[in-house]
Amino acid sequence: MDINFNVDLITFRDEVAAFLDSAPTDSIREAGRKVTSAFSDFDNAVEWQAILNEKGWAAPSWPKEYGGTGWSVEQRFIFSEEYCKRDLPPLLPNSLLMVGPLLIDLGTAEQKAKYLPRILSGEDYWTQGYSEPNAGSDLASLSCRAVRDGDDYIITGSKIWTTLAHRANRMFMLVRTNDQGKKQQGITFLLLDRTDYPGMDIRPITGLDGFPEQCEVFFDNVRVPQSGRVGEENDGWAVAKHLLKHERGGGAKSPTLRRWIERIREAADMTPSPHGGTLLEDPVFQRDLGGLEADIMSLEHFEKLVISGHEMANDPAYPSINKTISTELAQRVSVLMTQVSGIEGLSLELEALKIGSTVKPLGSEFDLVAMPFYLNSRATTIYGGTNEVQRDLIARSL
Amino acid sequence: MDFSFTEEQQMLRDTITRFLGKAYTFDTRQKLVSSEQPWSPDVWNILVEMGLTELPFSEKAGGLGGSIVDIVSVAEPFGEYLLIEPYLSSILLAGKALELGENDISRSWLQKIISGKAIGAFAHEEGKGTATTALVEFTAKDTDDGYMLNGEKRLVLGGGEADILVVSVRKSGRAGDTGGIALMLVDPKAEGIEINAFQTIDGRSAAHIKIDNVMVPATHLLSEDAYEALSAIIENASIALCAEAVGIMRALLNITNEYTATRKQFGVPIASFQAIAHRLSDMKIAFTKAQATLYYTTALAEAGRTTSRDIAIMKGQIGKLGRAIGEGAIQSHGGVGMTDELIVSHHHKRLIAIDAMFGDSEYHLRKVGLN
Repeated sequence: MDINFNVDLITFRDEVAAFLDSAPTDSIREAGRKVTSAFSDFDNAVEWQAILNEKGWAAPSWPKEYGGTGWSVEQRFIFSEEYCKRDLPPLLPNSLLMVGPLLIDLGTAEQKAKYLPRILSGEDYWTQGYSEPNAGSDLASLSCRAVRDGDDYIITGSKIWTTLAHRANRMFMLVRTNDQGKKQQGITFLLLDRTDYPGMDIRPITGLDGFPEQCEVFFDNVRVPQSGRVGEENDGWAVAKHLLKHERGGGAKSPTLRRWIERIREAADMTPSPHGGTLLEDPVFQRDLGGLEADIMSLEHFEKLVISGHEMANDPAYPSINKTISTELAQRVSVLMTQVSGIEGLSLELEALKIGSTVKPLGSEFDLVAMPFYLNSRATTIYGGTNEVQRDLIARSL
Repeated sequence: MDFSFTEEQQMLRDTITRFLGKAYTFDTRQKLVSSEQPWSPDVWNILVEMGLTELPFSEKAGGLGGSIVDIVSVAEPFGEYLLIEPYLSSILLAGKALELGENDISRSWLQKIISGKAIGAFAHEEGKGTATTALVEFTAKDTDDGYMLNGEKRLVLGGGEADILVVSVRKSGRAGDTGGIALMLVDPKAEGIEINAFQTIDGRSAAHIKIDNVMVPATHLLSEDAYEALSAIIENASIALCAEAVGIMRALLNITNEYTATRKQFGVPIASFQAIAHRLSDMKIAFTKAQATLYYTTALAEAGRTTSRDIAIMKGQIGKLGRAIGEGAIQSHGGVGMTDELIVSHHHKRLIAIDAMFGDSEYHLRKVGLN
């Protein structure tokens, strides 16, 4: 065993730190501090992505030939650590971490040339059209239909939980192209060049945190070109499963969670305990915090073992294990945050949460984000395949 | 970064596993546990012959200069097979403490222990918060003729069989001070020593030991200002204990998986019920965390970079996760999980014992939250 990174990465860390200290605008920093979701403020996330892309750092995990950094996994982990330490807004994941890697793996040369540069620059934002009102955990039962017509498909049906569809200009989606045989065998994966095709109707859904992060998208005889297909017709399930691997397993989650623990610690140090002293001095709170932090460290250890190439990385259940652990930790973090903020978290402050808002928070910035973060994080164990589905998959792999 | 065993370590691990698989079946082990013998002298001799008792000691001290990774690589199978031989007590605790000594007496005892001719025991726990090492109250009063010892030690593993005791004592100051703690050799046959031996829930022999005005010569002082050394010994032993626990957790996961896939109720294997499948999945998740934290902490220790916080994270996590896996295994087995005749209940009891020793998960997790 060897705990050290294979090469000396101190210079690398310094370089990353220097850039991340100087490059973000005040507005981007504010967006980072006010993050209450896996999806940060759209405009600032896009602006920040453009800045990072100038530097060549928008997609650390992509291969160099497609505009990635060519960094080792260790370097990516360090980048992520430095990034999270500074409370910077996470880049929007759908394009960079989902459809981008998918196209790199399975796209045609034309698709790669057409889409990848604009994904990197942030000019394009892709929304994901998977779930339907009657196809959630049982995704393969989806019924949004695409029928061939000349060089086109005609799409009819609807998609739901299409995150940020109202801000997206492109969409990747699963459609039913065949009713015969097993339900998985009649699905096709499509790329849509626009989100404003005639017959497309996008309706935002206000979430329990008060923000319209999700949408429902209706298709009424929407004509799209067949050239947007990834893989063969009726072979979209394999494509979708490939993408899910990126969605569930991709990227280290522990640096963000560790940063939240620090923020909780800072806030608890300023919060009086009803039993006297500060909350941070309260033994029960210490036990809760320590238990959560130790669990986050176990996730970090797991992530480091995986990036080091330990055999645990080859476990077929790895993406599901990773998704389950990291999302449930995020929820526990959010619960502890609301415990620290207490009644200060009960004020509904949608205006103050907006980036660049002139409305000041009624309490601290921590209190401002605690409750919306808690409410939004209920989604983490639902999206990307509910954790119940993940547990089915983990058990099946035993 | 590399968290894998070397080829050599893997070979050693395979050798031990094969040996235990043949010579230390659950039946054999249970007969041993219910016999008069505290452990098997034959098995102990074989472990000596394999070089395992030499493994953790420096070459200068007559050992093989093995690393903590070597220890972890064998401790996992020790856990899986529920080995009751005194590897932890005589080698990793008493032996490692003796290695601190610099006179002939300590060297000679260490040689005897390494060669299997003698058994040592480590008397540190006092049952009153000694998970915090500095809380030692047991006194050693400096006199012209040596040290006058007084106090009580609890749960001294192998304490009833030991030829020599290594005792943590307080020479000065009060409980909680890190200064004034020393390690001392004590002859268990000396007058004034009352040894109350018993068997633990996990099949091991242990003893509570009362020492009432016992004089030991000044040459029996192993290490003065021993707080750091004592903590280091306990931290390394904790890593070995956690490795045992991880070996057990892996075994319990496999056993429970097999059982639920074959046990039928309502006409189908019970693993087909989601309630059972999800518990198994939770056990797998717990095992994943425990294994990752064990290997990460081991690699830190090999580089000499563990802090007490790293140890607290490991011991806290593995205590908590081990209990969850053990309880999940028993519940999944239903009635038979409750019986003495299945290895599952014995695995669980070992996990419980490992959690309780050197500070349980509640203690360690609060420590993590403290700083």
